[in-house]
Amino acid sequence: MTNQPRILVVDDEPQLTRVLRTGLKSRGYDVRTAADGLAGFEAFNDWHPDLVITDLAMPSVDGLELCRRLRAISQVPIIVLSAKGEEKTKVEALDIGADDFVTKPFGIDELLARVRASLRRANTPHLNEATQTILDLGDFHVDLESRAITVRDKPIHLTPKEFDLLVYFIKHSGKVLTHRTLLAAVWGGNYVEQNEYLRVFVGNLRKKIESDAATPRYILTEPWIGYRFDSGER
Amino acid sequence: MRRSLLDHKWAGYVVAVLSVSALTLLLNVVGAHVNAATVSLALLLNVLFIATRWGSLPALAASIVAMLCFNFFFLPPSGTFNIAATDNWIALLAFLVTAVMAGQLSARARRRAEEAETGKREIEHLYAELRDAFERASHAEALRQSEKLKSALLDAVTHDLRTPLTSIKASITTLLDEARGRINGEPPVSLDAEARVEMMEVINEESDRLNRFINGLIDLARIEAGDLHLRRRWGAVEEIISAALLRAAPMTRQHRVELDIEKELPGVRVDERAVSEVVYTLVDNAAKYSEKGSMISITARRAGDELIQMGVEDEGQGIPGDLRERVFDKFFRATRDGDIRTGEPAGTGMGLAIAKGIVEAHEGRIWIESGRGKGTRVLFTLPIGDKDGGEELEYSASIVESR
Repeated sequence: MTNQPRILVVDDEPQLTRVLRTGLKSRGYDVRTAADGLAGFEAFNDWHPDLVITDLAMPSVDGLELCRRLRAISQVPIIVLSAKGEEKTKVEALDIGADDFVTKPFGIDELLARVRASLRRANTPHLNEATQTILDLGDFHVDLESRAITVRDKPIHLTPKEFDLLVYFIKHSGKVLTHRTLLAAVWGGNYVEQNEYLRVFVGNLRKKIESDAATPRYILTEPWIGYRFDSGER
Repeated sequence: MRRSLLDHKWAGYVVAVLSVSALTLLLNVVGAHVNAATVSLALLLNVLFIATRWGSLPALAASIVAMLCFNFFFLPPSGTFNIAATDNWIALLAFLVTAVMAGQLSARARRRAEEAETGKREIEHLYAELRDAFERASHAEALRQSEKLKSALLDAVTHDLRTPLTSIKASITTLLDEARGRINGEPPVSLDAEARVEMMEVINEESDRLNRFINGLIDLARIEAGDLHLRRRWGAVEEIISAALLRAAPMTRQHRVELDIEKELPGVRVDERAVSEVVYTLVDNAAKYSEKGSMISITARRAGDELIQMGVEDEGQGIPGDLRERVFDKFFRATRDGDIRTGEPAGTGMGLAIAKGIVEAHEGRIWIESGRGKGTRVLFTLPIGDKDGGEELEYSASIVESR
């Protein structure tokens, strides 16, 4: 057993899996590859990797189905590789529970940054524990019991929904959250199509927490998909 | 159409009165030579004319005026409305009844004809509108289909360009990272010599793949534009096949290759390099889509007096019947992205489309049958060639020149 993080790469393109295996290994990761969703799922059960990188379009069991099957049994971080033109599938994958995406063609740096962020998030499980009453992450300090928030040590006043939204963002810091996911989490299942609700609340939140709401650094927009929260950590 | 003065409603009455008066005047002038019967027939004719041109009411008016004139000028004693003889009373009554009846009947016939004409015009109009609507609809449908096809082709092309580009970009950025890491003194990326070579191999192979794809696109474009210039010469089938097999040797190394070429085959007048490309494509496909160690058979024999039939057969998974036509469509792949088991790079979905183009440019035919087992058998024919064909023409461009 090594203590290197283990990454499973699932892609039907042998050349790309070759490159990713070498590229990730050179950064100290332990890598295995699989050529389709089915083989990927088997490798996951066999090896229990710390992170899964998967292509979306693959023969037989595709990336979407792999995400679905993995989410049924595990909370392992999943990064999907997608191409322009696959936006719909990408959003679907994120809705199912994929954590992040990288658009082809990509530089290895970009992929590595996403890998690091996903692994970091997965290694801070205290954020999601129900008994936790204090969230302390980056520039944010939240007392869940008194519902008090400070940003850069400055107290801010939020409406109850703004508070819920920000707490959700903080708890899923670094992860791409689709409009649908956010609406379902904060407003409930009946509101998943009401993107404008979200836009208004995100706009208000930005005014209260960002130093410049026009160029946000905490709540980042992922065009056509949703938002990604960056706590300003390190 | 512009309405003339004669089309006005009152014009019928004016013409009725005027024409009867004029006719009466004329008959009066030649009075000595006409009898009452001639006069009544002439006036009746006038009524019919009015009826056919202006309808029943002007015809009725004409009938009455004609009756009055007949009575006044031609029935004795003339110059009065009195009538001496009883038979002339009967004649006058008969004239009036005949004139009115004939007028009404011919007016009705005219109305019917007009109605029929209007109906016909309406039907023609309706038909034309329907036809236009149908043409518009089928045009829109054709446009939609063509747009759909275009976007499917675009998807296929972008996928085939982006896939090798993704591997190239990932490789090159891995190498760049290492180089930069060394320069900036960042935590070193441990890329050993073997890994570096592997990255560069990937870049090299994927560049070749991009180039093959682009060459395929050029060949396809030439075929579609009918710009496929063949260098036809007399050649031997055996030589064409062995040239293809030599080129395919790296792919078929792990298969058993069986040749079955009929003895004393006549020569063929073809573009040898192009036909060899067809055989190569078929053998390459056979190797790609069948297990290592399985058999690939290549056959060539006469088919009748004028054709040579060549075939390549494998022991792979076969192609379902409903896809056997479609695999010759450009960018269509029966299986997605090559053969996973062998780790071979994906096909471009152009090989069979190009093969078909070449075979058809030689006036041949290419098709797929079930092999002996489950496998695929691709067959194609080539005409033996016109022995009196004279000097062979040579063209500057050849399809496989760019390879």
